[in-house]
Amino acid sequence: MSPDLPAGVDRVLFTQEQIEHRIGELAIQISERYKDKNLKLIGVLKGSIFFLAELARQIRVPVKMDFLAISSFSNKSTAPGLVRIAKDLDDSIEGEDVLLIEDIVDTGFTLRYLLQTLSSRGPNSLAVCTFLDRTSRRIVQVPVEYRCFEIPDHFVIGFGLDYNQLYRNLNYVAVLKPDRVG
Amino acid sequence: MGLIAISGQPGCRFEEVARITAQRLGFELVTAARLAGLVEKEFASVVAVPDKAYLDLVASIVARLATSHHLVLCSDGLELLSKQLPGMLRVHIVAPDSVRVGNVMLDERLERPAARQSIRDREEHQRTERKQRFALSGLPAHLFDLILNAEQLDSERLADLIVNAANLSGLIERGFLSAAAEAQLQFRSRLRLSKHGIVPPDKVALPRRLFAHPSEQIFANLLDFYRIPWDYEPRSFPIQWDREGKVSEAFTPDFYLPEFDLYVELTTMKQSLVTKKNRKVKLLKELYPHVNIQVFYQKDFENLIFKYGLAERTVQV
Repeated sequence: MSPDLPAGVDRVLFTQEQIEHRIGELAIQISERYKDKNLKLIGVLKGSIFFLAELARQIRVPVKMDFLAISSFSNKSTAPGLVRIAKDLDDSIEGEDVLLIEDIVDTGFTLRYLLQTLSSRGPNSLAVCTFLDRTSRRIVQVPVEYRCFEIPDHFVIGFGLDYNQLYRNLNYVAVLKPDRVG
Repeated sequence: MGLIAISGQPGCRFEEVARITAQRLGFELVTAARLAGLVEKEFASVVAVPDKAYLDLVASIVARLATSHHLVLCSDGLELLSKQLPGMLRVHIVAPDSVRVGNVMLDERLERPAARQSIRDREEHQRTERKQRFALSGLPAHLFDLILNAEQLDSERLADLIVNAANLSGLIERGFLSAAAEAQLQFRSRLRLSKHGIVPPDKVALPRRLFAHPSEQIFANLLDFYRIPWDYEPRSFPIQWDREGKVSEAFTPDFYLPEFDLYVELTTMKQSLVTKKNRKVKLLKELYPHVNIQVFYQKDFENLIFKYGLAERTVQV
């Protein structure tokens, strides 16, 4: 293990340079596709903020930005409740070309809910861009137009992704030490 | 006796309200599908249940169950059981057309005209069934203790109201239906059912969803959270037969997700048993190539599942 890595971090999966380079590639594709559109990036809080910020910086067409958050599943109570919007968008997306920015797509449960909710609000188009994609765990088949990295089945942290709300501020993506998982 | 009947207009998510209510109160949920399964299982000898016998037949089954369970009944018309089972809480949920159409568009991924038509079809079916089974042409308000409007309240808030009403009316404190009350009710039901040549069973067993592993319960909770319909172990697939053609081995995947036509198998067992299960999955895929199955091995899903039970935190799903 590198002595520079913080406690709990097993190894670096993607360095800052790799991330910025890959985001740059995506930004070119996105800029091309949306060059004559009303692009609005919608970030899903909190995990996507670093990715959205870097992506927005590299996109070469004007963009609007908005954010939403959804309630988190907790198995602490016997009744799990229902997923719901915990923080809604500030503005309407009717007629806009929405690019939903996710930190990670895993089972597809969250993304399915978000797409259902947003598609009912009348956007001109709705597409998905995710920082990380863990297809090995996919249950719900959801359309993902842009992905930075496909990752293996490890618990990953950094660049917005957390473990117990920590490690979001790492400027790289790392694997959490196995003894911290669970 | 804890007995709540929840019905509603098509598209107002009353089934979801019933499920949340049952979860919060710790009651057993008996949906229309589950009730139909019980009727079919217990009255398999009856070719077709006459419409006029339906309510007595259901009353007989519910009375049996109510001696050992608190129940949330989620099927149209069961508020009428209060004649036989007084003290039940009867709830009906309504919503404006626009809300119901919106719900169906979201839940069933339909365009607006198709969603509207789906609601109309279900309303017609509901009307016909109420008329045939319960001789009711309308839906009089006096049949219900609570009529709730889902226009501004989501399913969780509606469930909160029902839970409060259940607590205020002391449903649970009354305990299960007594054996004496049940016997009296069964006598009357049997008398009426005998006119149709139907003999109720002596014992009704409500198959509880006992999960084989805690992780399966967590997974079920996760699906509920995301409003994803599921069945637990609904089907066994024969995968091996003996020389006489009898099934010698079968495989029963843990979950079926009808919306995606997908079976999910959770494997959280020892490595020594994983090989055995891999073989079963392989055989299943060979014998039933049209069946979609997703296997979650322990390594795959320990991040996904176990953390839910061990740490209250946002998870990567």
